Amino acid sequence: AMEERRFRSASGAPIALRRRQHSACCRELSVRCPRLRLRSLSAVSSAVWLAAYGLFALSENSMVLSAAIFITLIGLIIYLHFVKIDQESLLVIGSLGIQVTSSYASGKESTTFIEMGQVKDVVINEAIHMQKVIYYLCILLWDPGDPQGVSEVVPLFQSSKPRLDCLIEVYKSCQEILEQRKTTPQAS
Amino acid sequence: ENSPAPLPERAIYGFALFLGSWFGFILYLIWAYIPETWLFSLGLTYWPQKYWAVALPVYLLVTIGIGYILLFGINMMSTAPLNSTHTITDDYAKKQQQKKFQEEAIPALRDIPISEVNRMFYLPEK
Repeated sequence: AMEERRFRSASGAPIALRRRQHSACCRELSVRCPRLRLRSLSAVSSAVWLAAYGLFALSENSMVLSAAIFITLIGLIIYLHFVKIDQESLLVIGSLGIQVTSSYASGKESTTFIEMGQVKDVVINEAIHMQKVIYYLCILLWDPGDPQGVSEVVPLFQSSKPRLDCLIEVYKSCQEILEQRKTTPQAS
Repeated sequence: ENSPAPLPERAIYGFALFLGSWFGFILYLIWAYIPETWLFSLGLTYWPQKYWAVALPVYLLVTIGIGYILLFGINMMSTAPLNSTHTITDDYAKKQQQKKFQEEAIPALRDIPISEVNRMFYLPEK
């Protein structure tokens, strides 16, 4: 079963949450960020080229123009491959683990897997980020030395930054799977 | 006891500070505006260069301007990052003792774990 709903990110951009239930104890939640807009791309490259043309008019050095073209191309490639994230997804498999995937605009995908034995809980935390207080979803990991403590916090959906309504949906889905851990004790 | 009420001593301190600051200001104006030759003829030869009469206020204003930016930057640097455990707990919360639950009494003040808070806020009551 798959359903998709529209939400807003913390900065107001439209994002879409897709929820897929693969089986009774396996769920995939993915947040799709808005794609790179053609108008912002052309605005940035026009600004860079106008500035380069202005510098060329001042300095009469044609290397400025070719340098500007080079910088624009390299900058665009770096931005698409390392910065612009298209989709962030969370795959929760009860009794196995949690997998976090980020897909970049150039097609690159980076994946992190956390096994269920390390996961203490998935919670919605509030923290100060830049000049705002934002809600964000994070995975708490067990502390080997302290049964009540948390050793590490893994923040999720860092680049799409969904708002609280979207986070509550994701939180409820995750908690339904995590609750099954208590009712079905694992064979060690 | 400390109280912010006006007292005779405080009035005297305030007036002495008022006179002192006026005296300092008039001295600064004399130093900055009266030509050096007139000051020499009065016998005052060992005063600092007049360059400092302009330089010190400029230094002060630039320091105040940088101070705003510096304070903002220090605040941002000491904010805990999103992946640190300081956003969830701290040393006092880790060392707190669990008090026994008493019937009919207000529960003792304690730091509630974030998992419990989340369940209360976001999961619907059954």
